[in-house]
Amino acid sequence: MSNVIQIVILGLALGGVYALMASGLTLIFGVMRIVNLAHPVLIIAGAFVTFWLFRLYGVDPILAMPVAAIALFCVGVILYKLIFEKEAASAKYSEMTVLLTFAVAMIFDGLLGWLFTNTQRVTTPSYATDAIFIGDVFIPTGQLYAGVASLVVIGLLLLFLQYTRFGYAIRATTQNRAAAQLMGVNVGLVSLITFGIGIGLAGAAGSLVSFIFSFFPAKHWEWIAILMSLVVLGGMGKLGGVIAGSLILSVIAAFVGAYIGSTWSTMTFFLALFVILLVRPQGLFGDKIEEA
Amino acid sequence: MPELLEVRDVVAGYGRGPAILTGTSLTVRPGQVQCIIGPNGAGKSTLLKAISGLLPVRSGEIRFEGERIDGLRPDQILRKGICFVPQERALFPRMSVRENLRMGGYVIDDKKVLESRIEEVLRQFPILRERAHQRAGTMSGGQQQMLAMARTLIVKPKIVMLDEPSLGLAPKIVQQMFEIMHMLKDRGMTVILVEQNAIMGLNNSTWGAVLDLGKTLFEGPAQEVLADPRIKELYLGKAKAAA
Repeated sequence: MSNVIQIVILGLALGGVYALMASGLTLIFGVMRIVNLAHPVLIIAGAFVTFWLFRLYGVDPILAMPVAAIALFCVGVILYKLIFEKEAASAKYSEMTVLLTFAVAMIFDGLLGWLFTNTQRVTTPSYATDAIFIGDVFIPTGQLYAGVASLVVIGLLLLFLQYTRFGYAIRATTQNRAAAQLMGVNVGLVSLITFGIGIGLAGAAGSLVSFIFSFFPAKHWEWIAILMSLVVLGGMGKLGGVIAGSLILSVIAAFVGAYIGSTWSTMTFFLALFVILLVRPQGLFGDKIEEA
Repeated sequence: MPELLEVRDVVAGYGRGPAILTGTSLTVRPGQVQCIIGPNGAGKSTLLKAISGLLPVRSGEIRFEGERIDGLRPDQILRKGICFVPQERALFPRMSVRENLRMGGYVIDDKKVLESRIEEVLRQFPILRERAHQRAGTMSGGQQQMLAMARTLIVKPKIVMLDEPSLGLAPKIVQQMFEIMHMLKDRGMTVILVEQNAIMGLNNSTWGAVLDLGKTLFEGPAQEVLADPRIKELYLGKAKAAA
């Protein structure tokens, strides 16, 4: 029994981090219909910001989250201004954005590799290697802290979306872009800020990734499919869906890893992606496929 | 007295497609219910989209209270005082009725003013109060249309443009929608109404304009337009020729 509890807790902690990693992706898709393939590499950029703050100044990775988030927010705003603002008018917008974000992913992959090499890195705060025992249940504190920190950030994001005026504007633009314009929302500005927030969330996730996984620039290719499966499972663009989906899939993956073999644990996400696309393409929590 | 809205020789269309409006002109005076009628594909909805800023104007000009508004974004045009309720009703399906009303007052900076206006609307429309927490997307077509029209009361625009508020609704409900429209007019709004059903539209209006193939054919007091023989020709001409 304690074994099962432990698997569930570890699954939920990791699921929380995945939820944070995927939340920016789904937010950006919701508002702009951009499938941001560069999201995982920007998570790694956030991990590098955290890594150097830790290495050079001894800043705790969790405390470094706001710095990584703000740094990546700026990257997001610049990317949007440079690339996506002009594309918004294009008739081949969605095709173009997939290609463009893929190119951005390759550029950042190369840039980070050139700057920092492709050696494995990890930040090592004391809690990263610690563990606590509750009865027979063994919980690594690193994963626990990362999971809790993720859920706190996601909670703040949800409060922001639910209760602030700008949050209303973001939700309105996600649900009906033309209607949001007619209500007085400047959707161009909303897109810019949302893109910044989405990439900022990637940066914050990077801080947590820096001590629960070892990372290197090219690692982001592994994550693209995992994050996509989470976003599709949740129903493209639905934040609540992606959070629930991340938690559920991570717990399932943890069980698969414990009872079938850790190689199959990652496969859980890809199998889920196939099954969802075949059986329920709108995702677990999507109402229907919306024509963009 | 200056015209409230002046549309002059406007050319507009979708994307890189052909022009739908091929030189449309229209004059709207304050306090009217101005009905725009015309056969399918005449460009009625396109005209409203061009005025609202959703569709870029290729040439010609649109003036509101003497000031040019073509080229402005939809949110800027709303802030000037023109509110557009499109056919699709522009609701946020996964937001509650109350949240939709709050979005309707997005441009109002004072939270107290916004909440008191929402209260006012809910008092006026008890059905909306009953369903304040229901998601807008789950309501009936008539209730959605009621919400979309009632929502314009929150910003109190000078002009409200309604694109076929009767579309897909049962006759009894349609009558209700026209009552709401008259209520908007009584609150001091000038109404521009696009209607497929010419007789029903003109009977509920003070002024009529007839559009065909992207151009204004003629305009005048609603009852005169209704009696004009050219109307029959426009709607029945082809049928007669076929018979």
